Amino acid sequence: MNMHTTPQRTLAETALIDAFGERLSLLPGDGAVMLKRDDAIEAIKGGLPTRRIESWHYTDLRRLLTSVPDFDPAAVAKAIAPIVEDSSVLPVLNGVSSAKLPDIEGVAVQRLSEKLTDGSIAPGLDPYGTDDAIGALNTAFVADGYFVDIADGAELEKPLELQNLQAGGQTHVRLAVRVGAGAKAVIVERQAGEGAALVSSVSQLVLGEGAEVTWLIVQEQPDTATHLAQFKAHLGKNSKLTLFVMNAGGKLVRQEVVVRTTGEGADFTLRGINLLAGDTHTDVTMVLDHGVPHTASTEVIRNVVTGKARGVFQGRINVHQYAQKTNAKMACNTLLLSDDGEFSTKPELEIFADDVVCGHGATVTEIDHSHLFYLMARGIDEKTARGLLVKAFVAEVIEELDDEAIVEALERRLDDWFLTHG
Amino acid sequence: MPAVQETIDRVRKIDVDQYKYGFQTEIAMDKAPKGLSEDIIRFISAKKDEPSWMLEWRLEAYRRWLTLDEPKWARVHYPKIDFQDLYYYAAPKSTPGPTSLSDVDPELLKVYEKLGIPLREQEILAGVQKTDASELEEASDNVYKSGRVAVDAVFDSVSVVTTFKKELAQAGVIFCSISEAIREHPELVKKYLGSVVPTSDNFYATLNSAVFTDGSFVFVPKGVRCPMELSTYFRMNEKNTGQFERTLIIAEEGAYVSYLEGCTAPQRDENQLHAAVVELIALDDAEIKYSTVQNWYPGDAEGKGGIYNFVTKRGDCRGHRSKISWTQVETGSAITWKYPSCILRGDDSSGEFYSIAVSNGYQQVDSGTKMIHLGKNTSSRIISKGIAAGFSQNTYRGQVSAHRKATNARNFTNCDSLLIGDQCGAHTVPYMEAKNSTAQFEHEATTSKISDDQKFYVMQRGIPEEEAIALIVNGFVKDVIQQLPMEFAVEAQKLIGISLEGSVG
Repeated sequence: MNMHTTPQRTLAETALIDAFGERLSLLPGDGAVMLKRDDAIEAIKGGLPTRRIESWHYTDLRRLLTSVPDFDPAAVAKAIAPIVEDSSVLPVLNGVSSAKLPDIEGVAVQRLSEKLTDGSIAPGLDPYGTDDAIGALNTAFVADGYFVDIADGAELEKPLELQNLQAGGQTHVRLAVRVGAGAKAVIVERQAGEGAALVSSVSQLVLGEGAEVTWLIVQEQPDTATHLAQFKAHLGKNSKLTLFVMNAGGKLVRQEVVVRTTGEGADFTLRGINLLAGDTHTDVTMVLDHGVPHTASTEVIRNVVTGKARGVFQGRINVHQYAQKTNAKMACNTLLLSDDGEFSTKPELEIFADDVVCGHGATVTEIDHSHLFYLMARGIDEKTARGLLVKAFVAEVIEELDDEAIVEALERRLDDWFLTHG
Repeated sequence: MPAVQETIDRVRKIDVDQYKYGFQTEIAMDKAPKGLSEDIIRFISAKKDEPSWMLEWRLEAYRRWLTLDEPKWARVHYPKIDFQDLYYYAAPKSTPGPTSLSDVDPELLKVYEKLGIPLREQEILAGVQKTDASELEEASDNVYKSGRVAVDAVFDSVSVVTTFKKELAQAGVIFCSISEAIREHPELVKKYLGSVVPTSDNFYATLNSAVFTDGSFVFVPKGVRCPMELSTYFRMNEKNTGQFERTLIIAEEGAYVSYLEGCTAPQRDENQLHAAVVELIALDDAEIKYSTVQNWYPGDAEGKGGIYNFVTKRGDCRGHRSKISWTQVETGSAITWKYPSCILRGDDSSGEFYSIAVSNGYQQVDSGTKMIHLGKNTSSRIISKGIAAGFSQNTYRGQVSAHRKATNARNFTNCDSLLIGDQCGAHTVPYMEAKNSTAQFEHEATTSKISDDQKFYVMQRGIPEEEAIALIVNGFVKDVIQQLPMEFAVEAQKLIGISLEGSVG
C-alpha cells in the first residue's frame, strides 16, 4: 500500500497519445477548442485512472483498457431502426454526423463539427473534475455529433432518437441538447455497433425552467467494444428529468451520470437496468449535486449478473449547505446469478444541509427460493420460473416509465437480451 | 421555525472548551529525545528490556515505514504532521511495580481519581497493598460486588499497573502490559503479534509497529470464560507525545473475553498524535467483545488543539464458529480515523460492529468498519449511528465483501445520521463487494434531522423541548448503547450528553 511508484505508460496510454498526434490535423475546432484538446491530452498523459482514484475504485481503467484500436475512417456503420416507430432519427455513423438534418417543428439541429469549428461549444468541453478521464478523452478527440436546440414551449410529439453507431476503430462523439422553458420531449440515445471499437460519448443536457424530458440511454454494444460514456445534465427551476439507462452489452463499459439541480423545484429520476453477461465489466457511476433548496431525486438501479460479468454501481448524492428541504432516495438491487460473477456497489451520501431527508439502500442476493418454489409448485419448470422472476425484477423498473410506446419498446429490448442470454 | 433556530443557537453556544477531563498532571517524565530514527527505536527497545527479535521486528517496520506515504483518502483535513517533532517515548519516572502500589506517585493516583474511571480501584488499589489475608479477601469481595473490572492503565506510553492479576492468573488468563508479555510470554507474542495487522499494513500501523511503547496483552486459554471484564484506560499527559499502544487479545478455543477501553487526554493547544494498533484473534468457538469509549480532547471552540486519533483495529475470526464484536462510542478527538474490522475466516463465524460517533465543534470523524467474509456461512451486522453538530464533519466509511468461497455470507448494515445545525456535515460511504451468488447483503442508510413529527409527539405529552430532543437522541443511539457492558453504558450516555451539551439540552 501507498508505496512510491514511478508509473510507466501502458500500451493503451501510448496508443492514445500517438493517435492524438496523428489525428490532430484532422480534428475540427478553432483556437479555443484546440487549447481545450491540448489540456485534455495532457490529462491523459498524466495516466489513465487507477483504482487509487476513488471515483475509479472498481474500474481500474489503466489496467482494464488493454488495447486501443486505430481509427478506421473507411468503415461503414450499419443503420438501425429506432426503438419507437416513427421517431425522428439523428444518426452518427462511425463518428460522423449526417449532413441531411431533419426538419422538426420547434427543433433546431446543427452538426457538432460546425459548432467545434466556430468554437461556440468550447465552454462545454471542460471536464468536470480532475478525475474525469472520459471527459478528457472525449474533449481531446471529439470530431462530431449533434447540437439540438428545442425551443421554449415546444412539445415534441415523437421521440427524438440520437444514434451513435460504431463500425470498429475509434469513435468520439458528443451530443448536446438544450431544452427551452416549458418544452417537453422524449429523447432516446442509442449506443450500438458491430466492431471491436473504443467509443467515447458525452451527452450534455440543459433543461430550462419547467422543461420536462424523458431521456433513455440504450446501450447494446457488442462484447468486443469498450464503451466510455458520460451523461451530464443541468436542471433548471421546476424542470423534470427522467433518465433511464439500460446497459445490455459491451466488453468494458463505464456510464457516468453527472446531474446538478440548479433551480428550485427541480426533480430528477434515474432508473437503470444493467444486464450483465459473459466476461465483461460494466460500471454505472452517478454523481448528483443538489445545489439549491427544494429539489428531489430518486434513483433505482436493478442489476442482473450472469456468467463471469463484473458489475459496479457507484452513486454519490451531494447535498450542499444551502440545499435545504432536499429529498433524495437511492436504491440499488442486484441479483447475482452466477458464482463467477461479482457486483460491487458504493452508494454515498455527502450531506451539508440539516433539513433534508436522504436515504439509500442496497442489496445483493440471489433469487428468492420461496418465490421459485411458488412458481414451480404450479407446474412451471425451474428454468422458466427463474426467467420469469429475473425478468419481473427488471421489468418493474421499465413499467414505471408510464409511456406505453416506450415501455413496449424497452421490453422488446429486454426480451432480445433474454433470448440471446437465456 | 423557532425550535430549530433555538437548537442552532444552542449549538453555537456549545462550549467544547469545558472539556471535563482537561487537566494536566505534573509528574516527572522520562522522555526520549524528539524525533524518529533507528536510534530512537533502539532506545525504546532497550528501555523495555526487549529481546533482540523484537528490536529487529521494530526496525523492519521502521524501514518499511520510510517508504510509505500518509493515506489521504479519508474525509479529514489537518496540517501535515511533522513526525520528527514528536516524542516517541515518555514514561512517568516513578514507574511502580504492580506489587508495590504504595510507591505510586500520589499525583498519579489523583489523576485516576479525577478521571473517575471504573476506579472503585481507588479502594481496590489500596487493598492490594494490604498483607493481611482476610483484608485482602475482603478487598476482592468488594471487587465482586462492584462489578469486577480489571484495569490495565496506560499513562502516556507505559502501562502503569494491572489490577486483579492474581485472580485472573487463577483462571489461566494472562492480562498484562504488552512489554511484560514480550518478556514473559515471548512464544505467544511471537506467534500472534502482527498476524492480524502486519507491519506492512498501512502508514500508521507500520509506524506503530516501529515505535509502540506499550499496550495490553490478553490471553484467554482454551475453554476459559474470563471471570471479569478487562479494561484498559489510556491517557495522554505529556506535551507533544505520540501515544502508540499496541493491544493484542487472543481467545483460544471456546474462550470468552470482554474487553473495555476508555481514553481521555488533558487539554492542550497542540495536536497530539495517537496511532494505536489493536489485534484480536478468536480461535474455534471463541468470542471476543471489544468496547471502546473514546473521549480524547476534541480541541477548543475554534478547533485548535485536540487529538489526532489514527487507529488500526482488526479482529480475526480465525476459528470456526468464532465471534468478534466491536462496540464503540466516539465522542472525542479532533480527528478520528478508525475502522475496527473483522476478518471472518472461520466457517460460521460472525462479526459485529456497533458504533456511535458524536461530533461537535470542529471535530472530524471518519470511521466505520470492514467485514471481510472469507469462510462459509459467515454473518456480520453493522449498526452505525452518527450525530453531527456544530461545525463538525461525520463520515461513515464501511466495507462489506464476500469472497468467492464465502457461500451464504450474510450482512446487514444500517447507518443513520442525525444532523443538528446547518454548519455540519454527515456522510455515508459504504462499499459492498459480492463475489458469490449465495451472498446476501443488505444495506440501508438515512440522513435527517430530528423530525418535527417526532418532537411534536413527545412534546404534546407535556415534555419540554430540550428533554424531548434528548429523549429522541437517546432513542436514536439505543441500539448501540444496549451492546455496551453495564458500567460503560452509563458512562457512554453521560459522555454523549456532555458532547452535545447545549445542542440537546
